[in-house]
Amino acid sequence: MILFRKFRVLLLMVFLVACTMHIMIDLLPKLEKRAAGADSANSGCSCAHEPSEAPRGRSKQQQPPQPPQQQRPRSGAPAEASWPNKHTLRILQDFSQEPNSNLSSQSLEKAAATGDKTDMIRGAKQRAADFESQRSLMKEAPNGGKQAHGGASRLAALYQHPLYNTELPPLTDDDTLFNVNTDIRFYSKATGNQEWHHEGNEEEEYNPTGEAAAESYPNWLRFHIGINRYELYSRHNPVMEALLKDLQAQKITSVAMKSGGTQLKLIMTFQNYGQALFKPMKQTREQETPPDFFYFSDFERHNAEIAAFHLDRILDFRRVPPVAGRLVNMTREIRDVTRDKKLWRTFFISPANNICFYGECSYYCSTEHALCGKPDQIEGSLAAFLPDLALAKRKTWRNPWRRSYHKRKKAEWEVDPDYCDEVKQTPPYDHGTRLLDIMDMTIFDFLMGNMDRHHYETFEKFGNETFIIHLDNGRGFGKHSHDEMSILVPLSQCCRVRRSTYLRLQLLAKEEYQLSLLMEESLLRDRLSPILIRPHLQALDRRLRLALNVLTECVEKEGYSAVVEDDMEHRQT
Amino acid sequence: ISQEESKLNRLFDHPLYNIRLPELTADEKLLDEQELMDYYRRKVARWERQQKFFLEAAAASNISLLEQPVNFDPDANWLKFHLGINRYALYSRDDQSIENLLKDMRRAPIIGADYTQDEKALKGACDCSQVVKPSGHHLKLALKFQDFGKAMFKPMRQERHEQTPEDFFYFVDFQRHNAEIASFHLDRVLDFRRVPPVVGRLVNVTGEVLYTTYNEELRSVFFTSPANNTCFFAKCLYVCKTEYAVCGNPDLLEGSMSAYLPGLSVAPRISIPNPWIRSYTFTGKEEWEVNPSYCDTVKKLYPYSSGNRLLNIIDMAIFDFLIGNMDRHHYEIFTKFGDEGFLLHLDNARGFGKHSYDEISILAPLTQCCMIKRSTFLRLQLLLQPEYRLSDVIRESLARDPLRPILTELHLQALDRRLERVVRSVSRCVKKLGEAKVVVTDFVEASGAA
Repeated sequence: MILFRKFRVLLLMVFLVACTMHIMIDLLPKLEKRAAGADSANSGCSCAHEPSEAPRGRSKQQQPPQPPQQQRPRSGAPAEASWPNKHTLRILQDFSQEPNSNLSSQSLEKAAATGDKTDMIRGAKQRAADFESQRSLMKEAPNGGKQAHGGASRLAALYQHPLYNTELPPLTDDDTLFNVNTDIRFYSKATGNQEWHHEGNEEEEYNPTGEAAAESYPNWLRFHIGINRYELYSRHNPVMEALLKDLQAQKITSVAMKSGGTQLKLIMTFQNYGQALFKPMKQTREQETPPDFFYFSDFERHNAEIAAFHLDRILDFRRVPPVAGRLVNMTREIRDVTRDKKLWRTFFISPANNICFYGECSYYCSTEHALCGKPDQIEGSLAAFLPDLALAKRKTWRNPWRRSYHKRKKAEWEVDPDYCDEVKQTPPYDHGTRLLDIMDMTIFDFLMGNMDRHHYETFEKFGNETFIIHLDNGRGFGKHSHDEMSILVPLSQCCRVRRSTYLRLQLLAKEEYQLSLLMEESLLRDRLSPILIRPHLQALDRRLRLALNVLTECVEKEGYSAVVEDDMEHRQT
Repeated sequence: ISQEESKLNRLFDHPLYNIRLPELTADEKLLDEQELMDYYRRKVARWERQQKFFLEAAAASNISLLEQPVNFDPDANWLKFHLGINRYALYSRDDQSIENLLKDMRRAPIIGADYTQDEKALKGACDCSQVVKPSGHHLKLALKFQDFGKAMFKPMRQERHEQTPEDFFYFVDFQRHNAEIASFHLDRVLDFRRVPPVVGRLVNVTGEVLYTTYNEELRSVFFTSPANNTCFFAKCLYVCKTEYAVCGNPDLLEGSMSAYLPGLSVAPRISIPNPWIRSYTFTGKEEWEVNPSYCDTVKKLYPYSSGNRLLNIIDMAIFDFLIGNMDRHHYEIFTKFGDEGFLLHLDNARGFGKHSYDEISILAPLTQCCMIKRSTFLRLQLLLQPEYRLSDVIRESLARDPLRPILTELHLQALDRRLERVVRSVSRCVKKLGEAKVVVTDFVEASGAA
C-alpha cells in the first residue's frame, strides 16, 4: 500500500517535471526574441519613437521591408499617420481590398501551369502566337475613330492632332497584364462553360488558342487583355465603343450588393459573364452639393462617374475604366434577378406608386434616401469591372495629399508649404514617373472638383513603373459655381508636370479644341445624355485656365526645365 | 390693416367665439397656484446650485460659458399660461398673457439649452435599421429662458416652397418648423385652443445654444461647416447617415419655439393610441382602412362609448386633415380631467407638407362615424363665408409672426379647399342620417349659450 503510494507520488513528480520542461522549451525562443528586440531600434513599440509609418503610401499587406535609411524622421508624423477614428475607417472601407484576394497573379499562373502539363509543353510555342493576337487586339484601329464621327467633329479633329498620336514604347511580355491563356482559363473554370461569345452559339467549340478565338472573346475580356503598363486601353480601340454598348444593352443576369462600401453600389453580371459596378442616380443634374457638406459626406453621383471617364479620355490619360449610363428596370433587372435577401427586403412601393429600394450600406441607405424609379425605371452608371483581383492583384496606395477626413483637423500638407520636398524624397515618389502621375491625377481631380481622392491603385504586376488607376470619381462635378483650389495644392507645391500633359492642357484651352465643347460632344454619345448641365461644362474651361495659371507661375519661378519633364522623346517615332 | 377691416378681429367678435364658460371651480383648473410656485422655487434653487457647479467645472477645463442669472418672476407670462389651463382648453380666448408669452419667446434671453426628455430617454440607443424612428431621434432642443420658462426649439429643415417628396411615406416626412407655427394659429382660429403657444425665432446657435448648454453631448455635436457656418446634428440620425446637420447662417438659425406644458410631476398626462392609427409600415393596412363600419366597433369601446371623447377625436381629425398631418399616432390628455378632458394637439411638425394634395383618409373618423360637435360645425361654416374666409384670417394671424411669411399662398388656398371638403362630408352624413344624429349638441354650448 505504502509502496503503491510512493509510486504514485513518483509518477506525479515525473509528470510535473515533464510539464515544466515542456513549458520552458516553449517559452525560451520567445524570451530570447524579446531580449534581442529590446536592443534593436525597431522594437515592438515603434509608434512612440520611430516614424515606422513612414511608407505612407503602402497598404500593410504588401509592404516590402523598408531599408531604415529611407525613413525620414518627421516631427508631425505620429499624429498625422495614425488613422483618426472609426468614422474615417468606415469611409475607407470602400477601398480596402477583398480579403480573399491574397493570391498573387504569379502564383496563380504557376499553379495553373503545373496543374496542366499539356499547357507546359505547349506553353513556349504558343506564347509567341498569343502575344501576337494580344497585340492585334490592342493596336489602334487607325481610322476607326475618325470615321465614327463626321468631318465637322471637334473630337475627331482632336484625336487627329499629333499630340494624340504619339506611340507607346514597344511592349514586352512584362508590360502586358495578362497572358491570354491564364485569364481565360480562370474564367472558364469559374463559369464551367464557355458560352459567353454569342448568345445563340452555345454549341460552338471552345478554342483556347489562336486569333480567331481572341476575336470572338466578349468585349470585357478583350478590354482586360488590352491592359498594359502604360494605359487601361488604347486610344482608338474599337473594343471600347463595343464595351460601352455592352454595358448599355447586355441583359443583366444577376445583381448583388457591393459589401463594405460607404454608399450603395450594385454589382451587375451580364449574360456574357462580364460584370459592372452600378451606381444609381441620387441627385438630379441641377442639384449642387450643399455648401455646408463636407467632402466626405457628399453624395456619389452617377453622372460624375460617366463624365469622369469621358474627361479622362479627352485628356488622353486613359486611366478610368469604361463607364456608360443606363436606364435600368428596377423590377426586372434588379429585384427579380438578385439573390441578395438584404437587398430584396428593402424594395417597397412608395405612396406615389413608384418602386423604391434603399439597400444596405453605411451612407444614405435608409428610407429617407430611398432610390425610386418612375415608376420602375432608374438611371445609373455602369462601370466595367477591372480584372479579378485573383488574376491581377492591385496595390492600394495612400494619397500623400489625402485630406484629414475630420471636421476640425487639418492634414499636414495643408500647413506645411514645403510638404512636397518631403514627398519627393519618399519612395516611390523619389524616382520614376509616380510623382508625375500624381500631378496628372491632381489636374484631373481639380477639373472635376473631386476632393475625395484618399487612395489610388496600381496593378501590382507592373511594380512602380506604371500608371495609376483613377477609380471612384462619383464625388466630382458637385459644384459648378465653386473651384476648390486646395485640390491643386500638390501641383503648386511640387511644380512638376509631364510635357505631354502640359501641351495637351494648353491645346484644350485653345478655342478650336475647347475642353467644354469636346466634353459636350463626347458625352452626347451616352444614352443618358445630357450628362452634365452647361454650368459644369463651362466650369471645366475655367478650371483648366486656373490649372494652367498655376503651371505658368511655376515655370516663372523655377524655370521651364525644372518644372516640365520631357516624356515625349522616346515616344516619337 | 385697421381694426375695422381686420377679418381676424371680426371673427373673434362673432357670437360663436364669445360663448361664455361657466365659472371654473378649483377642480376644473389644472394647477394650484401655491403648489406650483413652491414647485418652481425648488427647481430654481436646484438650477442655481447646478449652474454654480458647472461654471466651476467649465472654468477648470477652459470652456466658454456665459454666466447668466435666473430671474424667477412669479408674474411671468409662462406661469400665467400654466395657471390658466382648465378642463375646457389650454388657454382662454381673451387671455392677454398668451400674446405676452409669444412675445417673450421671441425675445427673452436664453440661458440654457439641452436635449429634450424623449431624446434623453433613449439613452443614446441608435438602431440604424429602424424604418420608423422614435420621436426622440429628431432634432429638437429644450431652451430655457431667463425667467425660467421653457420652450421646445425645432429648427428649420425645409424651405417654405418645398413639398414632401412624392415617394416619402408619412413616417419619414420632414419636421417643419413653419408647420408648428401655423398649427398654433389654425388651432386658435378654429377655437379649439389645444395647441401650446408657438412662435418663430431666429436663434443664434453659437451664443444661445452652444455657449449656454451644460450638456457635454450636445456640445460635441457642434462643428463648423466648410462654408464657415455653425452646424449641429441629431446624433443618431447623423451616425445612421439619414440626415445631415442643420446649419446657421453663419450663426443664425430659424426655428419654432413652442411653450412647454407644466412638468409631468405637477400635471401628469397620459398618451393614448389613436384608434385611427396608421400601420407605420410600407405595405400594412389597419382595420379602419379596410372596414367602412370600423366606427361602430370604436363606439362600443371604452372610453369612446360615452361622453365627448369620440367627438374630440373627430375635432382632431378635422384639424389634422386641414394641415395634412398623417402622423397622429397618439394623443395626450391631462390625467386630472379624466375622460371628459380635451385632447392636446401636440407635435404638428409634419403638417403642411403638400399643398397640392388632400389626404382624405385623415378624415376617416368623421366620414365613418358621421358625427360632429355643433359648435365645431358652426365655426367651420362660418370660416367658409367670404367675410371670415379661413385663408384670410390665417394669413392675417400669421403675419404677426417674426418669421413671416410662414405659409406660402398655395398652402393657404389649400386650407379653404380642405375646409370645403370637410363641410361637404358633414352634409353627406346629414343627408344620409339626418341632422339630429350627425350634429351633436356638445356640452360647451349646452352649458354656456343655452
